[in-house]
Amino acid sequence: MVWERLRHLLDETLLNFRRGGWGVVASIGAITVAFLVTGTFLLLTLNLGTVVAQWAEDFQVIVFLTDAITPEQVTLLRKRLEGELAVREVTYVSREEALADFRKQIRGQESLLEGLKTNPLPASFQLRIQKQHQTATALGQLAVSLRRMEGVEDVLYGQEWVDRLTSLVQVMKILGIVIGAVLGIASLFIVANTIRLAVYARAQEIEIMRLVGASRSYIQIPLILDGTLQGGLGAALALGMLYVLFRATLWQLGASAPLIFSGAELGRFLDVEYRMGIVGVGALLGAVGSLVAVRRFLRA
Amino acid sequence: MIQMFHVSKIYPKEVVAVSDITLHIQRGEFVFLSGPSGAGKTTLLRLIFRDELPTSGQILVNGRNVVRLRESKLPALRRSIGVIFQDFKLLMDRTVYDNLHLVARVLGVPEAVSRRKIGRLLKEVGLLQKADEIPYKLSGGEQQRVAIARALMSDPAILLADEPTGNLDPDLALDVMRLLIEVNIRGTTVVVATHNRRLVSEMGQRALILKQGRLMEETH
Ligand SMILES: Nc1ncnc2c1ncn2[C@@H]1O[C@H](COP(=O)(O)OP(=O)(O)OP(=O)(O)O)[C@@H](O)[C@H]1O
Ligand SMILES: [Mg+2]
Repeated sequence: MVWERLRHLLDETLLNFRRGGWGVVASIGAITVAFLVTGTFLLLTLNLGTVVAQWAEDFQVIVFLTDAITPEQVTLLRKRLEGELAVREVTYVSREEALADFRKQIRGQESLLEGLKTNPLPASFQLRIQKQHQTATALGQLAVSLRRMEGVEDVLYGQEWVDRLTSLVQVMKILGIVIGAVLGIASLFIVANTIRLAVYARAQEIEIMRLVGASRSYIQIPLILDGTLQGGLGAALALGMLYVLFRATLWQLGASAPLIFSGAELGRFLDVEYRMGIVGVGALLGAVGSLVAVRRFLRA
Repeated sequence: MIQMFHVSKIYPKEVVAVSDITLHIQRGEFVFLSGPSGAGKTTLLRLIFRDELPTSGQILVNGRNVVRLRESKLPALRRSIGVIFQDFKLLMDRTVYDNLHLVARVLGVPEAVSRRKIGRLLKEVGLLQKADEIPYKLSGGEQQRVAIARALMSDPAILLADEPTGNLDPDLALDVMRLLIEVNIRGTTVVVATHNRRLVSEMGQRALILKQGRLMEETH
């Protein structure tokens, strides 16, 4: 009995799929597009978010020193920097260390450095800033006062960029949510419509089934499963495409700008939780869409 | 088996299809429901398997009050009643076999059992050779017999036949009647709706005569 039931569910669902033909294909396609667009936003936002957070962490304030600076001046300067309220941590990077770091970064392309007779890189202090002082204006003021110090060549701080990128990520997040919601609702209607057509196409059969004693759920569950499958399949397909696009993009970027995009932390695909969540949301939208259709068009 | 108490059915726009009918059909009976077109025969049958609810009155089928039947109990009622519809209601895009198989699936009958049963029923109605045909290609009489076979798929306690001889020539009509009598002899309560009064008198069974929704007379 249970076996017959399961078989029936499978049969009916597949039957709907086959009967649905291009309608089902179009439905899954539309859901795929919706999830592809939303997924792209999600992926970009997450990655950009990580990158910006990383930058905010790494790239705070760099104080470049003049080449003529003496060790005594370095010590003195370090004391003064450590005395600053906003500064959490001070790291000295000598000219040699700077060059070694750079070599490491451009692994594979050391030939770029071959023509150099002398080390072009300055020594520097890299400062980490207390969280509460990490605003563009506070760091701007700090930079001005640091520039006046003896032995300081220049002060670089990326806070303005970090701020801009953070707000960009914020905007993208909101945009992603809005677009995701709109496309999600659209997907719901698309599934509902496909299931409605399936109900119409099989109206006579459904009527006969009811007349010979089929329960409501016996008729409804395969249709709802059908919608669920469409939603889940569309989302899974979108996920697959997103992955391919993502890999291709990384590869492209890696080839065209190895200096920027060689870092390992850059370019993470969606975590398992996100992937399962996306397929789950697709299936859920499909289920709700078909439930709506079934409720509306299977009265009596 | 089937009892009605002051049953009326009024469709929208004051169309009175059935009016104040009280009747009692015993278990195992064979009863004709006769009367001219539009008398309310189909409506009366539909009230029995709760395809329609009466406007007033009570209906008992096999001890169950159909009027107050809960939705969840409806499948059980329908499974105990085989219906031969006036318009057959066959699926024209499936084979004869698949039309019968649909019922087996709804009932959850195992595949092997259903195959045997379909074979037996098609043999009984003389259509074993047509199992893989599409009903669309069958004659009216053959379609009629497919509809009969399908109605018997659930071994119903009650068989409702709506104009089962409607478009058959007299010989075929008698064949069909013989088939229904046989079903009745095996214990099924049979109700046959027909406007063919000659057939009714030839068969000599109990008959309920309907006119304009009212029960006019009962003959034996
Ligand atoms: N679903 C419906 N909606 C409105 N009126 C209906 C409906 N079904 C039947 N009627 C009306 O109820 C009356 C009885 O119809 P019914 O079909 O029961 O007659 P019948 O005796 O089966 O006729 P026939 O011999 O032609 O099949 C008719 O006047 C018909 O127009
Ligand atoms: Mg009728």
